[in-house]
Amino acid sequence: MSEARNEGYARALVEIAEAEGNLAVVENELFRLARALEQSEPLRKVLTDESIPAARRQAIVEELIGAKATTTTTQLVSLVIGAGRGRDLPAIVDKVVKRASSAQNKDVAEVRTAVTLTPEQETRLAAALEKATGTKVNLKVVIDPNVLGGLIATVGDSVIDGSVRTRLDQVKSRL
Amino acid sequence: MSILQLALIAVPDPSQTHHWLFPETAEIIYGGISSILVFAGLYKFGWPVAKKGLAARTERIQKELDNAKSTLGGAEAEAASIRKAIGDIASERDRLLAEADTQAAALLYEGRQRVTVEVSELEVRGDADIAASRSRSSDELRASIAQLASGASQLAVVASLNAATQQELIEDFINSVGASR
Repeated sequence: MSEARNEGYARALVEIAEAEGNLAVVENELFRLARALEQSEPLRKVLTDESIPAARRQAIVEELIGAKATTTTTQLVSLVIGAGRGRDLPAIVDKVVKRASSAQNKDVAEVRTAVTLTPEQETRLAAALEKATGTKVNLKVVIDPNVLGGLIATVGDSVIDGSVRTRLDQVKSRL
Repeated sequence: MSILQLALIAVPDPSQTHHWLFPETAEIIYGGISSILVFAGLYKFGWPVAKKGLAARTERIQKELDNAKSTLGGAEAEAASIRKAIGDIASERDRLLAEADTQAAALLYEGRQRVTVEVSELEVRGDADIAASRSRSSDELRASIAQLASGASQLAVVASLNAATQQELIEDFINSVGASR
């Protein structure tokens, strides 16, 4: 039931973004917001707290991302939060990204890195991943300090792990 | 006049005897006959009664003797049974003592066996505990060393992760992924 509902929300968001003509930008902004929501406990608590009125939560969203995102993204997030689906926002956004990528015949490539990549590095990384997987990819970069260094790329079911964290874990298990 | 009257008349004065010691002859005769008659009466009528009384007394005494004999026999039987019981008690006591000795010996043997087995088991368990403790200590020490080494290596790695190294790692990743097919 939850899966079907999330799918419905994702379809609606994609159609609205497409209607507004900025699907690529919106899905990118939504993706970043979803990851920020996953990594920030206080933000997640505020946006999923049912005791806070929906209007107040929507106001917080607009205040937080209004200046950093397009109006469409802000309104779509506000819509989901107002509907009391803040807890499902990351899952809905993942489906939005998947739908948007599928519309372009691409696979979602989620890359986790400890430091920000330059646009040039993102381009080369996307090309390298396309070459490695044989499919076009929609690159999504997530800044994750836990990676420590290097990158972890996930394309579909494939994981390419070149992170310092994993190497340290391997050393730890060998010890 | 009757003969008796005549006799009484003819009887001289008794206080007048011919001899100072012996009575008159007639007196002796009459006295003798009277005595015979008295003894004959006594024999005829008194003897059976006396004999019967004697026989009854004899029978009573015999009965008492028999009773006494019977009581004596009973007492002897009782004494024999008591003697036998005493003998049985002594024999039972000996048997019980012998049985107790046997049981005590068996218990002692079993106790020694059990103690020996328990001591052996305790020794084995103690050895195992010592070995396990040694192994555990070794494992704990190894784990502590590993944890410390891991923490130290992480600190060393994180300290060495400057911007240049980060970029180098990213470039290495891109190049290796790009060259993987």
